[in-house]
Amino acid sequence: MASAGSTIRPLLIPLLSVAVPIGFAVWAFPNDLAPIRAAGIVTGWLGCGLLLVSLLLMLREPRLAAWLGGLERMYRWHHGTGVAAYVLLLLHPLLLAANNLPSARVAWLTLSPFTESWPVWSGWLGLLLLMGGLVTTFIRSIRYGTWRWLHALLGLGVLTGLVHLMLLGIDEPVLPILAVAAAILGWRLLRGDLGLAARPYVVTAVRPLAARSVEIVLRPLGDPALVAPGQFVLAEFGNGARYRGCGEFHPFTVSTIANQDELHLAIKALGDCTTRMLAIEPGVAARVIGGFGGFVDPHQTAPQFWVAGGIGVTPFVALLNAGPLLHPTRLLYLYRSEADAAFLPELRAAAASDPNFTLQAVETGDDLPDLGPLLPPAGKLSRAECYLCGPPGLIAALKPLLAARGVAARHIHYENFEFR
Amino acid sequence: MMRKLFYVSTATFWMAVAGFWIGNLLAPGSEQTATAAERDIGVAELARHSKPDDCWMAIRGSVYDLTQYLPDHPSRPSIIEPWCGKEATEAYDTKTKGRQHSSEADALLPKYRIGRFVGGS
Repeated sequence: MASAGSTIRPLLIPLLSVAVPIGFAVWAFPNDLAPIRAAGIVTGWLGCGLLLVSLLLMLREPRLAAWLGGLERMYRWHHGTGVAAYVLLLLHPLLLAANNLPSARVAWLTLSPFTESWPVWSGWLGLLLLMGGLVTTFIRSIRYGTWRWLHALLGLGVLTGLVHLMLLGIDEPVLPILAVAAAILGWRLLRGDLGLAARPYVVTAVRPLAARSVEIVLRPLGDPALVAPGQFVLAEFGNGARYRGCGEFHPFTVSTIANQDELHLAIKALGDCTTRMLAIEPGVAARVIGGFGGFVDPHQTAPQFWVAGGIGVTPFVALLNAGPLLHPTRLLYLYRSEADAAFLPELRAAAASDPNFTLQAVETGDDLPDLGPLLPPAGKLSRAECYLCGPPGLIAALKPLLAARGVAARHIHYENFEFR
Repeated sequence: MMRKLFYVSTATFWMAVAGFWIGNLLAPGSEQTATAAERDIGVAELARHSKPDDCWMAIRGSVYDLTQYLPDHPSRPSIIEPWCGKEATEAYDTKTKGRQHSSEADALLPKYRIGRFVGGS
């Protein structure tokens, strides 16, 4: 059963992404209509179905994430299904207008937001909200705190689009869809953003890790979050005597799970909120949702090749801290300078004590080094599982180099931590 | 990739919207004209065309043969079909919910006009 489950699990999101929109389109397929008008209606329903799947994939529930192959994967598909839905919904009014094209006047009247009524205005409003929400999604310079509220425009756009269908008089299948969409949005807001799903913790210690990085120790105040070595959690910190929390959940990889439920988190200052966290102090209350991910499969029997860039070394440290390695493992650890290298003493100690673990620590300076000479030869990688964790530029550079050494894509695993 | 798809599709969409608008500006103004000869149609004759496959309606003093249009109507058939064979001005003006039909609908109507409604006949 377990193997059947693990076989089906990678297919769940693709299946949902196909079955829900196709199901909607089949259910609502218009008979006896002109082909262009029918295509306009079908694109609307396909877009509606994909938006619903996209909403589901933004939920931050550890159990759901485990079923669907991890939160990082859910977010990749959340983006993909969302943009695909948007493209289909752009086509929807254009096709309906094109159907009347023998008359350019009627075609424009079908499309025009100025000469219509609430059913069409609500459709336009929904589309413009999706457009506005997606524009801000793709602008990286916006502060995360502002960005996430602008991103919420997309949820408002989905609801407005469904109201558009109801105003057209198509309330029978739309009411349940609207209820599901509102339930998913409410679930995410209450449990994810406002933190009802979070477990209470308190910061008990803070230690400098490297330049602009700290490791904090969290003790649970109630039932602990279920976290495995190599996973990450979403954590939000409250106010302390001097520290002021920023009221946002951010992802942090667990570096150690001590005494069964004490979490050590590695924090690298990458933005306004995480920079503020460098000054975090013992006694600060924290809320933790997770754990998520765990891209290193502990049940693999093959030798492993790990590549870490900067703070991306943390999940590997967690695996080393969890006990001796069962298989030969080589870690290529790339960092700017010794001052930037988190956990370097611990890794050197592990390499000295664990015969299965080999450390290749490389100081790179500010630029990405020539990676080719740093990688093992093809013969040593032929049976290896490769795990990469670091900045997107490093991952993108490594993938073709590993492929050139004969490593198949299914043996290359990586996490991006792209939560925007 | 996603960002590129978003920007390309959005730009294409607005270009298409602009294309429809320009097409409307360039279209001759008198293209919507009555397509049938003027004749008087009374209540009895109207009532004989009360099925979805033969659907006439009287709206604002004119009679329209909407048989061909019915499948294109956005709402459920159960909303529009009961008005076949009847004087439907009130339903047309309020959509039975106090909301007017769009100007697109007004522009489409003349295409289906078949005569003048003579209420008392």
